[in-house]
Amino acid sequence: MINDEYFLAALRLASGNDPIPIQVSASARDAYRLRIPQAVTAARTESAAIRSVREDDSSHLVRFVAAGLTFDLEVTEGDGLIDVAGHISPYPGEGALVDVRSPHMTLTRRIAHTGHFVATGLPPGWLSVVCHRPGHAPIQTTWVRIRP
Amino acid sequence: MRDPAELLTAAADGDRSAWDELESRFGPRMWAVARACGLSTADAADAVQGAWLRLLQHFGSIRDPSAVGGWLVTTVRREALLIHRKESAGLSLAQVPEEPDPAAAVLEADGRRRLWETVSGLHEPCRTLIRLIASDLGNQQMAARLGMPSGSIGPTKARCLEKLRTLISLQETAQ
Repeated sequence: MINDEYFLAALRLASGNDPIPIQVSASARDAYRLRIPQAVTAARTESAAIRSVREDDSSHLVRFVAAGLTFDLEVTEGDGLIDVAGHISPYPGEGALVDVRSPHMTLTRRIAHTGHFVATGLPPGWLSVVCHRPGHAPIQTTWVRIRP
Repeated sequence: MRDPAELLTAAADGDRSAWDELESRFGPRMWAVARACGLSTADAADAVQGAWLRLLQHFGSIRDPSAVGGWLVTTVRREALLIHRKESAGLSLAQVPEEPDPAAAVLEADGRRRLWETVSGLHEPCRTLIRLIASDLGNQQMAARLGMPSGSIGPTKARCLEKLRTLISLQETAQ
């Protein structure tokens, strides 16, 4: 049994009426610079860890775990932009940095001794956080899509 | 021309041209899948981008590198369906597929050609109707083109797609 979506997609491709836009192709190609060789990928934990923390659903918690580190991110949407308040535990150590990344912007932050960091003003869309620790492979979270 | 497994290995090892080649080979299918899931162009762009971002993080864990095309379209379909459902107020929770969905083979060049040949063999109004569906026309425009009442387009569409699906399934069984 073929899924309707594949079926319709094959028809659409054959008709040639809705080709992939140039900017979509360009973004896909450009994404290659986001590759991090040797990085460990932190998987999202069970969906129970993701929940709205404000009544208006403008803020969410999401957790990722890998290589003994837990990433807790509180993602808040407002004014068309995204703010991330994060916590990494246990504290990854002196000299550790995080990159809070969207496909079009990377904000690098130091991690406080409490394990906290903050990045504000990211564009909506795909988001990932990478923790760089001296002497260790980087750890990147899987990508999550954040849209108001 | 490099095969998909070679391209995947080369891209994982830092060969940017291999990544570009993967995009030019599979990007159009991924776009068609996202749009066929009913997404707007903006959301379809997100779904396609999401699948590429997941590939970047899974170079080493794709079990069958020669099937990376199937893996990409299966991944984009999952992303697209999640976006369509607006799951979890905007947080996409898509799991990365371990294996490509075998049904995605209809998007391979052979599968597409066979599908189109089968459409050409259908009786009217199905032959024209399915071509119009592929062209993204709304029900009213289709009704005008086919000279049918607009209320009957929905049921006729379902019947024609079912007929096409049965014919394709019979061909697959015969192979």
